[in-house]
Amino acid sequence: MHILEGEGVTKYFGGLAAVSDVSFYVDEGEVVGLIGPNGAGKTTLFNLISAALEPKTGEIRFKGKKINGLKPYQICRLGIARTFQTVKIFGNLPVIENVRIGSLFGPFKGLSTADATREANELLEFMGLSDVAYAPARDLTLAHQKRLEVARALATKPTLLMLDELMAGLNQTELIEAMDLVKKIREKGTTIVMIEHVMKAIMNICDRIIVLHHGKKIADGTPQEVANSKTVIEVYLGEASDAGN
Amino acid sequence: MDLIINIVLGGLLIGGIYSLISMGLSLQYGVAKVLNIAHGEFLMVGAFITYWLQQNGVDPLLTIVVGGPLLFLVGFILYRTVFTSIRLKAPNTGVYESNSLLAAFGLYFIVQNIAVLIWGTTPQRFSYLASSVTILGEDFNENRLVATAFAVAIGAAFYLFLERTRIGKAIRAAAQDPLTAGLMGVDINFVLALCFGFGAAMAGLAGVLISICYPITTTMGLGYTVIAIVVVTLGGLGSIPGSFIGGFILGIIGTGVTYWEPGLAVASYYVIFIILLLVRPKGIMGK
Ligand SMILES: Nc1ncnc2c1ncn2[C@@H]1O[C@H](COP(=O)(O)OP(=O)(O)OP(=O)(O)O)[C@@H](O)[C@H]1O
Ligand SMILES: [Mg+2]
Repeated sequence: MHILEGEGVTKYFGGLAAVSDVSFYVDEGEVVGLIGPNGAGKTTLFNLISAALEPKTGEIRFKGKKINGLKPYQICRLGIARTFQTVKIFGNLPVIENVRIGSLFGPFKGLSTADATREANELLEFMGLSDVAYAPARDLTLAHQKRLEVARALATKPTLLMLDELMAGLNQTELIEAMDLVKKIREKGTTIVMIEHVMKAIMNICDRIIVLHHGKKIADGTPQEVANSKTVIEVYLGEASDAGN
Repeated sequence: MDLIINIVLGGLLIGGIYSLISMGLSLQYGVAKVLNIAHGEFLMVGAFITYWLQQNGVDPLLTIVVGGPLLFLVGFILYRTVFTSIRLKAPNTGVYESNSLLAAFGLYFIVQNIAVLIWGTTPQRFSYLASSVTILGEDFNENRLVATAFAVAIGAAFYLFLERTRIGKAIRAAAQDPLTAGLMGVDINFVLALCFGFGAAMAGLAGVLISICYPITTTMGLGYTVIAIVVVTLGGLGSIPGSFIGGFILGIIGTGVTYWEPGLAVASYYVIFIILLLVRPKGIMGK
C-alpha cells in the first residue's frame, strides 16, 4: 500500500519553482532515499509534506487521505515525524524534556506524564543518550543533537519518519552508527524517507531512490537503476564539472 | 539609613505587582510575539471591575476569582480571532510582529475609550484594609502587604504551572520554536492563545491588587505597559523568573527615584531600558 503519495506537488518562492509538478509515492515499510544537487528542492518537499509550507498546487495524501491544508500538529498526530537539516532542538530545555514533548503531544492520543517520562528514558537509551539526559540540549555535540532529533521524532510514534541529512557533518564512526540506527528503526516497522548527500549510506540502506533536480523529479528507481541512469549521471557530473570550473 | 529601608521596603511592596504584569507581558511578547501596547488596559479593566463590584458590596479580593478567568477569556478569544489571523496571513514573523503591534495599538484606544465612556476620567478609590502596619520601624498600609502577598503567590503558582504541567511544557517549547513545536504535535494556535489569555489574566489580577491600594483612573494603563516592557527587557524576554525578579528591581529603583524627584520616575525607567538595550539586551536571566 502507498502510505504517502504526492500528485503534481508544486511550490514557488517568488518566481522560483522550488518544487515543480512532482509526483511520487512511498510504500509502507520502505526506506526511500531522496537525493539531488544542492537547491534541488528536497528540504522544500519535506516542508510541504510536514505542513511547514503549503503547496501552491497538487495534492499530498497519507494513508489515502489528503493532508495538505492540515496544521503541522495534525500531520504529526496522523503519524508523520521529521528531523531537520539544520538541527532545531529546544536548546534551552534538557535533553529528556525535548523527547518528552514529543511523547506528550505527538501521538494521536498523548501519553500521561509518567508514561511520557518512561518512554523518553527508553528512547534515550535506544539512542545512546542516557548519559546526557539532563544536560541542556544546546550543550550536546552535533552528532548527539541529530540523534536527539531522531529520538524526539520517534517519541511522536510516527509510521513515517523523514530524515533530512542525518549523516551530514558526521565523522566515520558516527556515520556507521547513524546507518545502524536507521536500519534499527526500519526493523521496528517504521517507513523512512531520507534526504542524504552521503552516497554510501543511500546506496547501502535504501530500497528505492527518488532524484530531484531544479525542483523536478528526474529519476525514481532502485539504487542500481538510479546509479546507472544517464540523466542522473549527467546531473551529478555536471555538478562536478561546474565545481571544477 | 531609615530612608534606604523605606525605599527598599516600599519598592518591594510595589514590585510584586510589577512582577505580575511583567510575567503577563512576557507571555504575550516573549511567547506569542505580540508587543501588547494594550497590556495596561487589561490591568485598568481589572481595577475598575473591582471598583465597580466593591461599590456593589463585593469584597475586592473575591474579584480575583471573577476577574482572572474573565480577562483570560477575553484575551484568549482576542488572540484566536484577531492575532491568529494576523499570524496566519503574515508571510514571516517580522510582518506578524509589526502588524500585531499595530493591532494592539488599536486595542489600546478602543478599550480606553470605552472605559472613559463608562467610568469617566476622575480618579476613583475605595478604602480597604487601610490600617497601618509597622515593619522595621516604617509604616505601611496593610492593603499593600496583602496585595504583595497575593502577587507573589499568584506569580509562584504560575511559575509552577509552567514548570510542572503539560500545557506549561507546550508553552515553553512554543516559546523556543513554534514551528518545530507544532511539528511535535503541539497545537500552536491554541497554545499562543492560551499565552495571550494568561497574560491578560495576569494584568487583570494586577489591576485588582492595585485598586485595593491606590487610586485608579481609566488612563493609568499605559504607564504600567511601559513598566512591563522595561521589566521584561530587564528580566530577559520570555524568562518568567526574570520578569518576577525584574519587577522587584524596578519597584525599588522607581521608589528611590520618586523620593528624589517624582517627575523623573518614568524617565528613569526609559534610561534603564536604553542602557539595557545597549549593554545587555538579553536581560539578567536571558539565554
Ligand atoms: N523559505 C524560502 N524562501 C525562499 N526561497 C527558499 C526557501 N526555502 C528554500 N528556498 C529555495 O528553494 C530552492 C530549494 O531549496 P531546498 O532547501 O529545498 O533545497 P535542497 O534540495 O534541500 O538543498 P540542500 O541539499 O542544499 O539542502 C533553493 O533555491 C532555495 O534557495
Ligand atoms: Mg535541504
